[in-house]
Amino acid sequence: MDGALKLWSVVAIVGVLNYLSRVSFIAIFARRHVPVLLARAFRYVPAAMLTALVLPMIVAAPAAPVLASAPKIVAAIVAGAVAFVTHSTLKTLAAGMLTLWALQFAGFAFG
Amino acid sequence: MRRFIANPDFRAGFVDMLPAALALVPFGLVCGVGAAAAGASLAGAVGLSAIVFSGAAQILAVQLLAAGAPLVVIVLTCFVAGLRFLIYSAAMAPYLRPLPPRWQNGLAFLLTDQAFAAAVRRFDAGGDARAAGAHFLGSGFALWAFWQLTNIAGYFVGNLIPPAWSLDFAVPLCFIALVAPHFRTSPTIVAAAVAGVGVLALAALPMKLNLIVAGVAGIAAGTLADFAKERWTAR
Repeated sequence: MDGALKLWSVVAIVGVLNYLSRVSFIAIFARRHVPVLLARAFRYVPAAMLTALVLPMIVAAPAAPVLASAPKIVAAIVAGAVAFVTHSTLKTLAAGMLTLWALQFAGFAFG
Repeated sequence: MRRFIANPDFRAGFVDMLPAALALVPFGLVCGVGAAAAGASLAGAVGLSAIVFSGAAQILAVQLLAAGAPLVVIVLTCFVAGLRFLIYSAAMAPYLRPLPPRWQNGLAFLLTDQAFAAAVRRFDAGGDARAAGAHFLGSGFALWAFWQLTNIAGYFVGNLIPPAWSLDFAVPLCFIALVAPHFRTSPTIVAAAVAGVGVLALAALPMKLNLIVAGVAGIAAGTLADFAKERWTAR
Protein backbone atom coordinates (compact mmCIF):
# COMPACT_ATOMS: atom_id res chain seq x y z
CA MET A 1 0.00 0.00 0.00
CA ASP A 2 1.26 3.47 -0.89
CA GLY A 3 2.66 5.28 2.19
CA ALA A 4 0.55 8.44 1.85
CA LEU A 5 -2.63 6.43 1.20
CA LYS A 6 -1.93 4.29 4.28
CA LEU A 7 -1.35 7.36 6.45
CA TRP A 8 -4.59 9.01 5.29
CA SER A 9 -6.46 5.72 5.83
CA VAL A 10 -5.18 5.74 9.43
CA VAL A 11 -6.24 9.39 9.83
CA ALA A 12 -9.73 8.66 8.49
CA ILE A 13 -10.42 5.35 10.26
CA VAL A 14 -8.80 6.18 13.61
CA GLY A 15 -10.32 9.67 13.43
CA VAL A 16 -13.82 8.21 13.00
CA LEU A 17 -13.30 5.49 15.67
CA ASN A 18 -11.90 8.02 18.16
CA TYR A 19 -14.83 10.35 17.55
CA LEU A 20 -17.33 7.49 17.93
CA SER A 21 -15.68 6.56 21.27
CA ARG A 22 -15.88 10.18 22.40
CA VAL A 23 -19.49 10.74 21.33
CA SER A 24 -20.70 7.23 22.31
CA PHE A 25 -22.41 7.78 25.63
CA ILE A 26 -22.96 11.50 25.08
CA ALA A 27 -25.18 10.96 22.02
CA ILE A 28 -25.38 7.44 20.58
CA PHE A 29 -26.13 5.42 23.73
CA ALA A 30 -27.40 8.39 25.71
CA ARG A 31 -30.72 6.71 26.47
CA ARG A 32 -29.37 3.17 26.88
CA HIS A 33 -28.70 1.62 30.24
CA VAL A 34 -25.07 0.53 30.65
CA PRO A 35 -24.87 -3.19 31.67
CA VAL A 36 -23.48 -3.72 35.20
CA LEU A 37 -20.47 -5.78 34.10
CA LEU A 38 -19.50 -3.20 31.47
CA ALA A 39 -19.87 -0.32 33.92
CA ARG A 40 -17.63 -2.18 36.36
CA ALA A 41 -15.00 -2.96 33.69
CA PHE A 42 -15.04 0.69 32.57
CA ARG A 43 -13.59 1.85 35.88
CA TYR A 44 -10.34 0.01 35.19
CA VAL A 45 -9.75 1.04 31.57
CA PRO A 46 -7.63 4.15 32.29
CA ALA A 47 -5.41 2.45 34.90
CA ALA A 48 -4.79 -0.66 32.76
CA MET A 49 -4.43 1.04 29.35
CA LEU A 50 -2.29 3.96 30.51
CA THR A 51 0.02 1.67 32.51
CA ALA A 52 0.45 -0.65 29.52
CA LEU A 53 1.15 2.41 27.37
CA VAL A 54 3.67 4.00 29.75
CA LEU A 55 5.88 1.13 30.98
CA PRO A 56 7.50 0.23 27.63
CA MET A 57 8.46 3.91 27.25
CA ILE A 58 10.36 3.78 30.57
CA VAL A 59 11.80 0.26 30.80
CA ALA A 60 14.14 -0.68 27.95
CA ALA A 61 13.79 -3.99 26.09
CA PRO A 62 14.68 -7.08 28.20
CA ALA A 63 17.92 -7.54 26.25
CA ALA A 64 19.27 -4.15 27.34
CA PRO A 65 21.17 -3.85 30.64
CA VAL A 66 18.93 -2.86 33.55
CA LEU A 67 21.23 0.05 34.36
CA ALA A 68 20.39 1.67 31.01
CA SER A 69 16.80 2.41 32.11
CA ALA A 70 17.57 2.99 35.82
CA PRO A 71 17.52 6.83 35.63
CA LYS A 72 14.18 6.76 33.77
CA ILE A 73 12.68 4.28 36.26
CA VAL A 74 13.71 6.45 39.23
CA ALA A 75 12.47 9.64 37.51
CA ALA A 76 9.15 7.93 36.69
CA ILE A 77 8.66 6.88 40.34
CA VAL A 78 9.37 10.45 41.52
CA ALA A 79 6.97 11.82 38.89
CA GLY A 80 4.31 9.28 39.93
CA ALA A 81 4.55 10.38 43.56
CA VAL A 82 4.24 14.04 42.55
CA ALA A 83 1.24 13.25 40.32
CA PHE A 84 -0.43 11.22 43.09
CA VAL A 85 -0.18 14.15 45.51
CA THR A 86 -0.60 17.21 43.26
CA HIS A 87 -2.78 15.97 40.31
CA SER A 88 -0.84 18.53 38.24
CA THR A 89 0.54 17.63 34.79
CA LEU A 90 2.94 20.59 34.83
CA LYS A 91 4.43 19.70 38.24
CA THR A 92 4.67 16.01 37.28
CA LEU A 93 6.48 16.93 34.07
CA ALA A 94 8.88 19.27 35.90
CA ALA A 95 9.64 16.74 38.67
CA GLY A 96 10.22 13.88 36.20
CA MET A 97 12.41 15.83 33.75
CA LEU A 98 14.51 17.48 36.50
CA THR A 99 15.08 14.10 38.20
CA LEU A 100 16.09 12.49 34.92
CA TRP A 101 18.47 15.33 34.02
CA ALA A 102 20.04 15.28 37.52
CA LEU A 103 20.58 11.50 37.35
CA GLN A 104 21.97 11.67 33.81
CA PHE A 105 24.30 14.49 34.84
CA ALA A 106 25.43 12.55 37.95
CA GLY A 107 26.00 9.45 35.78
CA PHE A 108 27.99 11.53 33.31
CA ALA A 109 30.08 13.08 36.10
CA PHE A 110 30.79 9.91 38.10
CA GLY A 111 29.93 7.06 35.74
CA MET B 1 -16.03 32.70 16.28
CA ARG B 2 -16.41 36.31 17.42
CA ARG B 3 -19.50 35.25 19.35
CA PHE B 4 -17.40 32.79 21.33
CA ILE B 5 -14.50 35.17 21.94
CA ALA B 6 -16.97 37.65 23.43
CA ASN B 7 -18.26 34.94 25.80
CA PRO B 8 -16.59 35.29 29.25
CA ASP B 9 -17.00 31.56 30.01
CA PHE B 10 -15.30 30.58 26.72
CA ARG B 11 -12.43 32.94 27.53
CA ALA B 12 -12.16 31.64 31.11
CA GLY B 13 -12.01 28.07 29.79
CA PHE B 14 -9.28 29.03 27.32
CA VAL B 15 -7.18 30.69 30.04
CA ASP B 16 -7.76 27.88 32.58
CA MET B 17 -6.34 25.34 30.11
CA LEU B 18 -3.09 27.23 29.44
CA PRO B 19 -1.01 25.49 32.20
CA ALA B 20 -2.04 22.04 30.89
CA ALA B 21 -1.44 23.18 27.29
CA LEU B 22 2.06 24.29 28.35
CA ALA B 23 2.73 20.90 29.94
CA LEU B 24 1.77 19.24 26.63
CA VAL B 25 4.26 21.27 24.54
CA PRO B 26 7.04 18.60 24.69
CA PHE B 27 4.49 15.85 23.93
CA GLY B 28 3.23 17.75 20.89
CA LEU B 29 6.80 18.30 19.68
CA VAL B 30 7.54 14.56 20.03
CA CYS B 31 4.40 13.72 18.02
CA GLY B 32 5.49 16.10 15.26
CA VAL B 33 9.00 14.62 15.22
CA GLY B 34 7.47 11.12 15.02
CA ALA B 35 5.25 12.04 12.08
CA ALA B 36 8.23 13.51 10.19
CA ALA B 37 10.35 10.43 11.00
CA ALA B 38 7.59 8.14 9.68
CA GLY B 39 7.79 10.00 6.36
CA ALA B 40 4.43 11.78 6.66
CA SER B 41 3.86 14.88 4.53
CA LEU B 42 3.04 18.10 6.39
CA ALA B 43 -0.63 17.66 5.40
CA GLY B 44 -0.59 14.08 6.68
CA ALA B 45 0.99 15.14 9.98
CA VAL B 46 -1.56 17.92 10.44
CA GLY B 47 -4.40 15.55 9.46
CA LEU B 48 -3.25 13.18 12.18
CA SER B 49 -3.02 15.82 14.91
CA ALA B 50 -6.13 17.80 13.87
CA ILE B 51 -8.50 14.87 13.22
CA VAL B 52 -7.25 12.02 15.42
CA PHE B 53 -6.35 14.59 18.13
CA SER B 54 -4.97 12.07 20.62
CA GLY B 55 -1.28 11.98 21.54
CA ALA B 56 -1.27 8.28 22.45
CA ALA B 57 -2.94 7.25 19.17
CA GLN B 58 -0.66 9.53 17.14
CA ILE B 59 2.55 8.17 18.72
CA LEU B 60 1.42 4.57 18.23
CA ALA B 61 0.25 5.25 14.66
CA VAL B 62 3.51 6.85 13.50
CA GLN B 63 5.66 4.18 15.20
CA LEU B 64 3.62 1.37 13.64
CA LEU B 65 3.59 3.13 10.24
CA ALA B 66 7.38 3.49 10.41
CA ALA B 67 7.64 -0.22 11.32
CA GLY B 68 5.49 -1.16 8.31
CA ALA B 69 2.65 -2.72 10.34
CA PRO B 70 -0.55 -3.62 8.44
CA LEU B 71 -3.38 -1.07 8.48
CA VAL B 72 -5.68 -3.33 10.52
CA VAL B 73 -3.09 -3.63 13.33
CA ILE B 74 -2.53 0.14 13.43
CA VAL B 75 -6.25 0.86 13.56
CA LEU B 76 -6.93 -1.79 16.23
CA THR B 77 -4.04 -0.65 18.45
CA CYS B 78 -5.09 3.01 18.24
CA PHE B 79 -8.69 2.07 18.97
CA VAL B 80 -7.78 0.02 22.06
CA ALA B 81 -5.48 2.80 23.30
CA GLY B 82 -8.45 5.18 22.84
CA LEU B 83 -10.92 3.01 24.79
CA ARG B 84 -10.61 5.43 27.69
CA PHE B 85 -12.60 7.96 25.63
CA LEU B 86 -15.63 5.67 26.17
CA ILE B 87 -15.23 6.18 29.92
CA TYR B 88 -14.88 9.92 29.56
CA SER B 89 -17.94 9.95 27.30
CA ALA B 90 -20.02 7.99 29.81
CA ALA B 91 -18.89 10.28 32.65
CA MET B 92 -19.56 13.50 30.66
CA ALA B 93 -22.97 12.42 29.33
CA PRO B 94 -25.07 13.46 32.37
CA TYR B 95 -23.41 16.90 32.45
CA LEU B 96 -24.02 17.53 28.74
CA ARG B 97 -27.63 16.29 28.69
CA PRO B 98 -29.16 19.79 29.21
CA LEU B 99 -27.25 21.12 26.16
CA PRO B 100 -28.58 21.06 22.57
CA PRO B 101 -27.44 18.07 20.40
CA ARG B 102 -25.24 20.33 18.27
CA TRP B 103 -23.25 21.29 21.37
CA GLN B 104 -23.09 17.68 22.57
CA ASN B 105 -21.70 16.47 19.24
CA GLY B 106 -19.22 19.34 19.00
CA LEU B 107 -17.93 19.09 22.56
CA ALA B 108 -17.49 15.31 22.17
CA PHE B 109 -14.81 15.96 19.54
CA LEU B 110 -12.84 18.00 22.10
CA LEU B 111 -13.00 15.28 24.76
CA THR B 112 -9.38 14.55 25.69
CA ASP B 113 -7.71 13.43 28.93
CA GLN B 114 -6.94 16.99 30.02
CA ALA B 115 -10.19 18.61 28.81
CA PHE B 116 -12.20 15.87 30.52
CA ALA B 117 -10.55 16.46 33.90
CA ALA B 118 -11.06 20.24 33.63
CA ALA B 119 -14.67 19.90 32.42
CA VAL B 120 -15.71 17.62 35.28
CA ARG B 121 -14.27 20.13 37.77
CA ARG B 122 -16.13 23.02 36.08
CA PHE B 123 -19.48 21.21 35.76
CA ASP B 124 -19.24 19.99 39.38
CA ALA B 125 -18.74 23.60 40.48
CA GLY B 126 -22.40 24.03 39.52
CA GLY B 127 -24.21 26.88 37.83
CA ASP B 128 -25.68 27.12 34.37
CA ALA B 129 -24.95 24.13 32.08
CA ARG B 130 -24.58 26.46 29.08
CA ALA B 131 -21.91 28.49 30.87
CA ALA B 132 -20.04 25.28 31.78
CA GLY B 133 -20.44 24.13 28.15
CA ALA B 134 -18.93 27.36 26.87
CA HIS B 135 -16.08 26.90 29.37
CA PHE B 136 -15.52 23.36 28.03
CA LEU B 137 -15.51 24.71 24.47
CA GLY B 138 -12.91 27.32 25.43
CA SER B 139 -10.63 24.85 27.20
CA GLY B 140 -11.02 22.20 24.48
CA PHE B 141 -10.29 24.76 21.77
CA ALA B 142 -7.18 25.98 23.65
CA LEU B 143 -5.84 22.42 23.83
CA TRP B 144 -6.66 21.70 20.18
CA ALA B 145 -5.04 24.93 18.95
CA PHE B 146 -1.86 24.49 21.01
CA TRP B 147 -1.69 20.83 20.01
CA GLN B 148 -1.66 21.79 16.30
CA LEU B 149 1.00 24.48 16.84
CA THR B 150 3.32 22.19 18.81
CA ASN B 151 2.83 19.28 16.38
CA ILE B 152 3.72 21.51 13.42
CA ALA B 153 6.71 22.97 15.32
CA GLY B 154 7.89 19.43 16.10
CA TYR B 155 7.47 18.40 12.46
CA PHE B 156 9.81 21.18 11.27
CA VAL B 157 12.32 21.84 14.05
CA GLY B 158 11.93 18.85 16.39
CA ASN B 159 15.09 17.21 15.09
CA LEU B 160 17.11 20.27 16.17
CA ILE B 161 16.43 19.45 19.84
CA PRO B 162 19.53 17.71 21.28
CA PRO B 163 18.88 14.02 22.15
CA ALA B 164 20.66 14.63 25.50
CA TRP B 165 17.59 16.60 26.63
CA SER B 166 15.56 13.34 26.57
CA LEU B 167 12.47 15.19 25.35
CA ASP B 168 10.86 11.80 24.56
CA PHE B 169 10.59 11.19 28.29
CA ALA B 170 7.93 13.92 28.50
CA VAL B 171 5.47 11.53 26.82
CA PRO B 172 5.38 8.86 29.56
CA LEU B 173 5.40 11.68 32.14
CA CYS B 174 2.17 13.13 30.71
CA PHE B 175 0.51 9.71 31.06
CA ILE B 176 1.95 9.20 34.56
CA ALA B 177 0.31 12.51 35.52
CA LEU B 178 -3.03 11.05 34.37
CA VAL B 179 -2.74 7.54 35.79
CA ALA B 180 -0.97 7.96 39.17
CA PRO B 181 -3.88 9.76 40.88
CA HIS B 182 -6.07 6.68 40.07
CA PHE B 183 -3.97 4.39 42.28
CA ARG B 184 -6.18 4.76 45.35
CA THR B 185 -8.20 1.51 45.35
CA SER B 186 -6.92 -2.07 45.35
CA PRO B 187 -8.73 -3.19 42.13
CA THR B 188 -7.20 -0.23 40.28
CA ILE B 189 -3.74 -1.24 41.47
CA VAL B 190 -4.42 -4.87 40.43
CA ALA B 191 -5.53 -3.67 36.95
CA ALA B 192 -2.38 -1.58 36.55
CA ALA B 193 -0.07 -4.31 37.92
CA VAL B 194 -1.44 -7.00 35.58
CA ALA B 195 -1.31 -4.65 32.59
CA GLY B 196 2.20 -3.51 33.50
CA VAL B 197 3.69 -6.97 34.07
CA GLY B 198 1.88 -8.26 30.97
CA VAL B 199 3.10 -5.54 28.63
CA LEU B 200 6.74 -6.10 29.67
CA ALA B 201 6.50 -9.92 29.74
CA LEU B 202 4.97 -9.97 26.25
CA ALA B 203 7.38 -7.38 24.80
CA ALA B 204 8.54 -9.97 22.25
CA LEU B 205 5.13 -9.92 20.50
CA PRO B 206 5.34 -8.14 17.14
CA MET B 207 3.68 -4.83 16.25
CA LYS B 208 2.94 -3.77 19.84
CA LEU B 209 0.29 -6.49 20.20
CA ASN B 210 1.48 -6.74 23.83
CA LEU B 211 -0.28 -3.40 24.45
CA ILE B 212 -3.69 -4.79 23.43
CA VAL B 213 -3.28 -8.15 25.20
CA ALA B 214 -1.90 -6.65 28.44
CA GLY B 215 -4.40 -3.78 28.48
CA VAL B 216 -7.40 -6.10 28.10
CA ALA B 217 -5.94 -8.52 30.70
CA GLY B 218 -5.49 -5.61 33.12
CA ILE B 219 -9.10 -4.45 32.64
CA ALA B 220 -10.34 -8.04 33.25
CA ALA B 221 -8.13 -8.43 36.35
CA GLY B 222 -9.32 -5.11 37.80
CA THR B 223 -12.96 -6.05 37.22
CA LEU B 224 -12.50 -9.48 38.86
CA ALA B 225 -10.68 -7.89 41.81
CA ASP B 226 -13.55 -5.43 42.16
CA PHE B 227 -16.15 -8.25 42.35
CA ALA B 228 -13.91 -10.23 44.74
CA LYS B 229 -13.50 -7.20 46.99
CA GLU B 230 -17.26 -6.66 47.00
CA ARG B 231 -17.86 -10.31 48.00
CA TRP B 232 -15.27 -10.02 50.74
CA THR B 233 -16.66 -6.82 52.25
CA ALA B 234 -20.29 -8.03 51.94
CA ARG B 235 -19.60 -11.03 54.20
